[in-house]
Amino acid sequence: MEKEFYLGIDVGSVSTNLVLLNSQRELVYRDYLRTMGQPIRVVQEGLKALKGRMGEINIAGAGTTGSGRKLAGIMIGADVVKNEITTHAVAALDTNPAVSTILEIGGQDSKIIILRDGIVSDFAMNTVCAAGTGSFLDRQAERLQIPIEEFGDLALKSKNEVRVAGRCAVFAESDMIHKQQLGHRIEDIVYGLCQALVRNYLNNLGKGKAIKPTVLFQGGVAANRGIREAFRRELGMEIEVPPHYDVMGSIGVALIAKETAKRMGRTGFRGLDISKCQFGVRPIECKGCANMCEIIEIVKDGTGIACWGDRCGKWSNRIGK
Amino acid sequence: MKPRVGIPRALLYYNYFPLWEVFFKELGAEVVLSGLTNKKILDDGVNCCVDDACLPMKVFHGHIIELKDRVDYLFVPRLISVERNEYICPKFCGLPDMVLNSVKDLPTVIDCTINLRNSSSSLRRAVLDVGRLFTGDYRRIYTAYRKAVLCLESFEGLMEKGATPLEAMKGDYSKAGEYHYSIGLIGHPYNIYDNYMSMRIIDKLRDRGVNVITQDMICSNELDRIARDFSKPMFWSFGKSIMAASRYLIDKRHVKGIIYLVAFGCGLDALVGDLVERRIRKKGIPFCLLTIDEHTGEAGIDTRLEAFIDMLEWGGTAKCW
Repeated sequence: MEKEFYLGIDVGSVSTNLVLLNSQRELVYRDYLRTMGQPIRVVQEGLKALKGRMGEINIAGAGTTGSGRKLAGIMIGADVVKNEITTHAVAALDTNPAVSTILEIGGQDSKIIILRDGIVSDFAMNTVCAAGTGSFLDRQAERLQIPIEEFGDLALKSKNEVRVAGRCAVFAESDMIHKQQLGHRIEDIVYGLCQALVRNYLNNLGKGKAIKPTVLFQGGVAANRGIREAFRRELGMEIEVPPHYDVMGSIGVALIAKETAKRMGRTGFRGLDISKCQFGVRPIECKGCANMCEIIEIVKDGTGIACWGDRCGKWSNRIGK
Repeated sequence: MKPRVGIPRALLYYNYFPLWEVFFKELGAEVVLSGLTNKKILDDGVNCCVDDACLPMKVFHGHIIELKDRVDYLFVPRLISVERNEYICPKFCGLPDMVLNSVKDLPTVIDCTINLRNSSSSLRRAVLDVGRLFTGDYRRIYTAYRKAVLCLESFEGLMEKGATPLEAMKGDYSKAGEYHYSIGLIGHPYNIYDNYMSMRIIDKLRDRGVNVITQDMICSNELDRIARDFSKPMFWSFGKSIMAASRYLIDKRHVKGIIYLVAFGCGLDALVGDLVERRIRKKGIPFCLLTIDEHTGEAGIDTRLEAFIDMLEWGGTAKCW
């Protein structure tokens, strides 16, 4: 019997992740790419790389998630397009059915998901500000000229606590500079920063939420051992980091795609060869009314396949879904 | 030629327009309404209004600009209190002054004062003062006002049957469609019913098969009765109905979840939001706070709404995704 695979793509602000699950829900392929502001190209490159590694395979279901989910979903003909909260919860439950709390910190956003008896019972996402997220750590690592991969290990060397203001990334930065000019050791400052981020996260997102074990920590920032340690101390409980913590969103949507495709009995996936198609976007400013909506038309090999951005439906209804 | 009275389609339009419209029409005036909120109205409002006002105030200024050159009068009443011993947001007390200060080249502004905190005499005076602008016949003014009140009552009656203000203003509301379950949507009427500011939140929920119940769809006697049981009287009229509505939705309507739509920077929402949230959570009902501001990208609201609905439906059947 031909083997079946399920594809999940998470198009985030910073990274785009592709995973492939087999019919036993095991991960057989994963790829972590930088989005670099070009979601269309990175999805195509990701699929090309996938084909290069896996060859011609039978993809029986595909789904997309992340802030670029709609765009990627149209491109690949996804069976399901799902928000990040649901996909992260699904993946976490599949990894550890006992999970009660999910801490997720990504490049531009962070979320907390509370589960009870295998069901999401509450969640919160950061508001417009990206202070306590990966991009802030990235930026501080760069300023201190420490590779981001070593940032967490350096924090663990800290012997003395240094308090860094955590309300805002700009405040934190000036506080860090002051501490550094006073002569505090760099590892203490770096760990202080980890604590500030955790404090900021728990105050903003965790406000009024009962954080109970088992706690799963996922998203790109979970790689940082300093942050893990700060969470462990602050919450007073063990923090579990799943093996594929950085691609949990794609795993979740692949699992949902598997269910959806099974229910539908078919897949809408356009095939791996869409990496060879010419995708483009046509921006249109609608002059129909004073809203002047910024319309985006997605074009595949010269024909429009989807339109969005309008408030009235004049453009988005023009192309059949 | 009939005198033209301009009414901005913003703020208390959603509560009182049928009353105002009939009153002015009965006095022989032509009522001119500004268009639906759009990008231009938002931009104009943001540019001319004081910076620290909330979004709905800014949008109101945009409507004034859209209207001012097509009318002889602009109706901007100074509402201080609409219920005994209660107030509405202090910005409404100064609204005519804000408009006169920020917008140039205005037609005559009708800024009658309504203050029912101690007695209803100011209402009688306001009705007469405004009426005298159009006729010297006192009987005609009173008749116009009585007709207007009847019209407002039938409008409110339609809303209590489940119509939004816009549907009720059309007058031909019949309970539409079959819904799977109900969600409570609370917040200031001018935030939740303005489709541009709220990003069509009611339509989006209804499209997902959700019956939306707002505080205006609940019998006002019922709300007053609940408000009498508050441990302390709530002196803001909107805060009172929002708080009473949340209790009614929890105890009587068995809603699956409650969404509170707030405008960034609203002092009342900040306080009432927390009171409401604590009570709802204590009852174990899912709650979601959505903040709106000048953003026109809908992705942020959509992700949170989608995830909230997923969460509610997931709780119902084992695997809704």
